[in-house]
Amino acid sequence: MSTLRSRMSATALAAVTLTMLFACEVTGVGVEGSVGYDGGYYEPYGYDYGGWGGGYLVGPGRCCDHGDDHRDRGRDGHDARGGQDARGGHGGGRAPAYRPAPAGRSAPSIPGRSRGR
Amino acid sequence: MLRRILISVLVFAGCTSMAGAADFELPALNTPPSTEHHQGKIVWADLVTPDLAAAEKFYGALFGWTFHRIRAGSSDYAVAMLDGRPIGGMMEKPIPAGERRQSAWLTFMAVGDVEGVKRAATAHGAKVLADSRSYPMRGRQCVLSDPEGAVFAILASSSGDSPDYLPVSGEWIWSSLHAKDAGAEAAFYQELFGYDVFELPSDDGSEHLILSNDNYARASANSLASGSTRRHPHWLNFVRVDHTAETASKVIAMGGRVLVEPRVDRHGGMVAVVADPAGAPFGLMEWTDSDTKVEPK
Repeated sequence: MSTLRSRMSATALAAVTLTMLFACEVTGVGVEGSVGYDGGYYEPYGYDYGGWGGGYLVGPGRCCDHGDDHRDRGRDGHDARGGQDARGGHGGGRAPAYRPAPAGRSAPSIPGRSRGR
Repeated sequence: MLRRILISVLVFAGCTSMAGAADFELPALNTPPSTEHHQGKIVWADLVTPDLAAAEKFYGALFGWTFHRIRAGSSDYAVAMLDGRPIGGMMEKPIPAGERRQSAWLTFMAVGDVEGVKRAATAHGAKVLADSRSYPMRGRQCVLSDPEGAVFAILASSSGDSPDYLPVSGEWIWSSLHAKDAGAEAAFYQELFGYDVFELPSDDGSEHLILSNDNYARASANSLASGSTRRHPHWLNFVRVDHTAETASKVIAMGGRVLVEPRVDRHGGMVAVVADPAGAPFGLMEWTDSDTKVEPK
């Protein structure tokens, strides 16, 4: 009787353990040390891009010749007043939510150095 | 007897779990590893798609990417390689029957401290979509949505961040955020990454901001285009191409769509927005080396 009970307990334990392992394998999300990957996210379906008019420019500009200015990266100069000129005006003088880059600095471009050069 | 069985089961369980985890190893961002770090630089992108084989075929033919498959729990994951370097990942994730989901590329930004940036993000209105987690060789990462709901990820690479080179054709070259309030969103990302924010002149009534650090432009933040009827804030990543119009034609020939027709952008080259056959949007951008002038460094 005792042997039978032991066997049944062991079988039940094994079943529970394997079920948990299977569940981890299938879901595989959000748990430190779990097997899966957390990188993939679907977004809400069906948004569109609308019409990008002629002034709707999203890319960087070309690299400018203001390297010395760019090296001046002190945060003290990032006040709203300093950025007004560089920003070309913002909502009729409304202070932006962000700290604009100081006046006199042009927006930098992307890296221009080629790999291996 | 029971104890022996119990121990055997636990040992088996442990071995199975470890073997499964060992199967899924994202490649290091840099080989050999470096100590280089660029806070806020966009260093990786992950595609989520319902058909990984179709995505491999499409992106392989379009950009010359090759793929290395690894297992990710119940799904498959493919590392996209260009010239032997890992440049992104693609994950197959089934879409439940009856549901419609938007396949998309997830943008990863470099951080030094995932937990610290996560705390700052949530304090400023972000939500955690996938909590921080470490991956062998890769580092620690966390997936978030910003205050407007645009999804992004942060990554503390254990092998350092990619050096600042001009991307070659077929590599990611640029990222743009499209949001309802570009200024407020720029402020949010500035808090996280310390970006310098430049507002650029615009004659279309939209706000266009350049986010930079290390004296390099890293991304732009833009008002959603006024003509868009279904407006969902999102990040959009651009691949460098030699000919935008030709590449857009190939996209159509391979079952994709053109969302924004090829057009000249700020740098003087052509850009376009296209979607792969599963609907995931991404950008195309021409960039000529000869036009890049003096380096600030």
